[in-house]
Amino acid sequence: MNSEILTQSSTNAEGQPASATKRGRRRRNLWAYGYMSPVLVALAVVFGYSFVEVVHYSFYAGGVGQLTYVGTSNYHELFADPQFITSMFNNFKLLFTVPVVTILALALALMINTTFRGVRQYRAIVFLPYILPATAMGLSFSYLLQGNGVLDSLLKNLDLSFLIHDWLGSPSWVMFSIGSVIVWQQFGFGVVVFSAALLAVPGETIEAARIDGASWWIVQRKILIPQIRRIIEFFVILQAIIVLSSVFTYVYVLTGGGPAYSSSVMEFFIYQNGFENGSIGIASAAAVVLLGIASVLIAIYIWARARAAKEAG
Amino acid sequence: MQHLRNVLRQLVLIALSVISLYPVWFMLSTALKSTHYYTMNPTGIPYHVTFSNFRAVLSDWPLLLWMRNSLIVTVVAVSVSTLISIMAAFAIVFSQAHGRESLFRSSIALMAIPPVALLIPMYMLMVNTHLINSLPSVMIFYTGLLIPFSIFFFVNFFREIPLELVEAAYVDGAPHRRILRSIILPISGASTVTLVIVNAIFVWNELLVALVFLQSNSSRTLMAGLALYQGRYVTNEPLLMAAAFLSILPLGVLYIFGQRFFVRGLTAGMGK
Amino acid sequence: MNRKVLSGDASASTSLRSLFKRHITKNVLAMVCVFSMLLSVMALPVSGTAGAASKKTNITYWFWGESDIPGMTKWMQQRIATYEKANPDVTVTLVPQSNSTIIPSFTLAAQSKTGPDIDTQWATLPTLQPALGGAVTPISDYLPKSDTSHWLNTNENTYKGKIYAMPLYLIGVPLVWNKKLFKEAGLNPNTAPTTWTEFLADCKALKAHGITPIGMGNKDGYFGAWMFAIYEKQELNTLSQLTEGVAGKGNAETKMLASLKTMYTMFQGLIKDGYVNSNVESLSLNQGWQLFPQGKAAMSLTTDGNVLSWAKSIGESNIGVTKPPIWGKGALASTYDVTQSSDEFITSWSKNKQADANFLEWLHEPVNMVALNKETGAFPADNQFPAKDITDPLARSLDKLDTSGSSIWLENYIPPQIDADADIPAGQLITSGSGTPAQAVALWSQQFQLWRTQQPTQFAQFKTWAAG
Repeated sequence: MNSEILTQSSTNAEGQPASATKRGRRRRNLWAYGYMSPVLVALAVVFGYSFVEVVHYSFYAGGVGQLTYVGTSNYHELFADPQFITSMFNNFKLLFTVPVVTILALALALMINTTFRGVRQYRAIVFLPYILPATAMGLSFSYLLQGNGVLDSLLKNLDLSFLIHDWLGSPSWVMFSIGSVIVWQQFGFGVVVFSAALLAVPGETIEAARIDGASWWIVQRKILIPQIRRIIEFFVILQAIIVLSSVFTYVYVLTGGGPAYSSSVMEFFIYQNGFENGSIGIASAAAVVLLGIASVLIAIYIWARARAAKEAG
Repeated sequence: MQHLRNVLRQLVLIALSVISLYPVWFMLSTALKSTHYYTMNPTGIPYHVTFSNFRAVLSDWPLLLWMRNSLIVTVVAVSVSTLISIMAAFAIVFSQAHGRESLFRSSIALMAIPPVALLIPMYMLMVNTHLINSLPSVMIFYTGLLIPFSIFFFVNFFREIPLELVEAAYVDGAPHRRILRSIILPISGASTVTLVIVNAIFVWNELLVALVFLQSNSSRTLMAGLALYQGRYVTNEPLLMAAAFLSILPLGVLYIFGQRFFVRGLTAGMGK
Repeated sequence: MNRKVLSGDASASTSLRSLFKRHITKNVLAMVCVFSMLLSVMALPVSGTAGAASKKTNITYWFWGESDIPGMTKWMQQRIATYEKANPDVTVTLVPQSNSTIIPSFTLAAQSKTGPDIDTQWATLPTLQPALGGAVTPISDYLPKSDTSHWLNTNENTYKGKIYAMPLYLIGVPLVWNKKLFKEAGLNPNTAPTTWTEFLADCKALKAHGITPIGMGNKDGYFGAWMFAIYEKQELNTLSQLTEGVAGKGNAETKMLASLKTMYTMFQGLIKDGYVNSNVESLSLNQGWQLFPQGKAAMSLTTDGNVLSWAKSIGESNIGVTKPPIWGKGALASTYDVTQSSDEFITSWSKNKQADANFLEWLHEPVNMVALNKETGAFPADNQFPAKDITDPLARSLDKLDTSGSSIWLENYIPPQIDADADIPAGQLITSGSGTPAQAVALWSQQFQLWRTQQPTQFAQFKTWAAG
């Protein structure tokens, strides 16, 4: 059902012509405004007010109660600040986890796209990390990944000493380590999303191809993957949004942004400047920049949805 | 050939399961060791099981208090946001009110807004209204953050409801309140549970907002408390792991029994 | 907008359902389980807040000290229990802080003017900076001179004639060495390295015998901060060389940064030569210290309190203590590092300031001070405490170091934001090997710039403080 049908039928149900006067329509829909008002108020406070205020604060310096107007200088300072640049680039570095998660999860989803003993249990196990709190799991990982920690002693026992690193203490490895924890947590989500999509692919197409003598690989590549292309696209966009805007917990728990800011991300920069230092101006400016970047992704997401909707007719 | 492929697949799956579960296992096994035993053998199986870490955490830390706070915040934020989102989604799908489509579209856009971008203004607002440091401060913020996805979710669900169900009631002139209550809600049960679970996981696991808004020890949520105690107990790994394990336990138990809701809910954002 | 975004979407939700089909009985069981869990947690009494409505005075105390002196929190808890028994109308809620939360938590609290009634901060600027920002009420406003005159080192927190905070203990930062490990490396276990050359020679010998010379942790940045406190100081002739540098007066900043660069070059040498545990960057200060009592490192820089605590695990006869070896050539190089370290103050928004002050002063009663020393080995910051009663030989030698001359802990003289955002990460650049001394110094200069422009009020207050 789409909204067009709905519109038509609900007008018919009330016995009104579709071209009712504006006023009449408004009165008939009065109840609807009432129903929508609580969320409108909540969204206005949490989002509307905040959008306006965050821009407003970005033109000030100083702490709470000592705000002084400084114009756009926070933005100049922001882009001259190596810590902010590092933080932004670290967010971009984390974008590399997106293809990794997508490819790994897709591979596994294709692999278990049949019924066999234990498939449900395996899927449930792999999905588990996705729901566990990053705070608690981060604590566990901080001991696993510590220099001379659990992972390193495991590598040593396996005679793989050349792989030993100070996973969280070395600036060249720390983003890799944080990225790996993110992959660990998001992987199961991808598997479940892709599995569900694959199950929805009509069986006849695959059967037809098989009869034509197509190999397993050809079936996957030429039929299954194209069929779930849209889902893959959405997943990729969603993951990109996640690594740009919700990785604070990993950084805070695993490294605290260190060593020497090398694992700071934009969220952490905002937290540190705005709350640990009380410099709400520059933190707000960083938040505005983050909002700008997020809007680009949101626009891509909405565009992808619209295109998919058009394709589906 | 087929046999080999099956063996290979099993091996891959076993390896992935080990990787998925190991951090949880490490947490539990460490929590069951004494500090001394852990220092000697951090990765070994805890042959000499001790529950003293769990006892210590429960008696020395305000862990249960934090859990209670998390629970109250989760229950309030999730129920309020679910309730008002159902109403809004109902209006969006079954009315012709102006702006209903814009509300739906903005919900989709707002779903992806980074919460940190709203943090400073919300913090200032809470300071000015003297709500800072109290549970309502985070409840309000979380409620707002949950709304966009909830609207999106319910609108998609309501649009699948066969129109005949609603039409008959319209013809009878039943008030909207009754249509919602006696027709829509009864068939929305499973979907609502699904959404509640997704939202509850978000609130239960959230760290950043709780860390900034709740500063007094007795008003903290579980995750904020855990993160802030990390520094103090970093040299007592078994104790910290015991606390971490207790913090994932409620979700773990829920997951074991209610998997299908988790999976359905958390994948609901995809594709629709 | 059409709901059918995907072709074949109609069956997507059904297939999801079939993916994870479960029996209904299991769900009922789960609901019962979860509900009983919820109910049992909900039924808990809310400690601390339940009686808030009564006439009781509630004092919330954000406390720190365990990192300096193991056992400090327990001592405080026992004091509180005694005090509450004697004063049934007062409740003190103790909230211990860690190295990583002590400053940020209070900065946050000061912005919202809510939070603790009594707070612990590190002495001097970490206390005076929020004090100048209006977050601290001078404790000398609430206590007579006859009380405060017994406190030691009040000068660390005095500004314009007012004492802002109360010290509890004094603590020195010695170099400790493990005599057993020194012997293993063929060194004289009873000779302390006093000059830098001796120190490096000892490190070299230890390293050659496969022993980690220095055990420290810098994940939280405090090893670096300590190197700054001890060794940057050794390059200065006066404290104002530092404070004028921070204030950006004339070319004082350039000069100060130049001396910092020399210090970081020395620090880098220690790391490059492998004299510090290789995982220094993934251990916090407290974690890194554990290497010493575990016998995994031969030397460490620590506090009196930790030395006494470690003596219990590796034996007092195996521990030697001395001043950190002298490296710098400034006039301050010969000073030691005793400080009250942390101090206790009343927040400006506390509702019962007199009650807060009475409780704090009560902690200084001789019986409590003696208990502090007895239970933790710490030296109370009170001139009524009979120092001659210390009999333990290790404690005596620590006390001797502490009282041997003048002392400065340099970290207390930089604004907390500079400490957190410049001092700490700059040290991490060195320990992680990811930055040169020049980059470390550049980071200081950037952070000075950022602090001065982002916190103009704090900067102005700092300049006034540094000048007066």
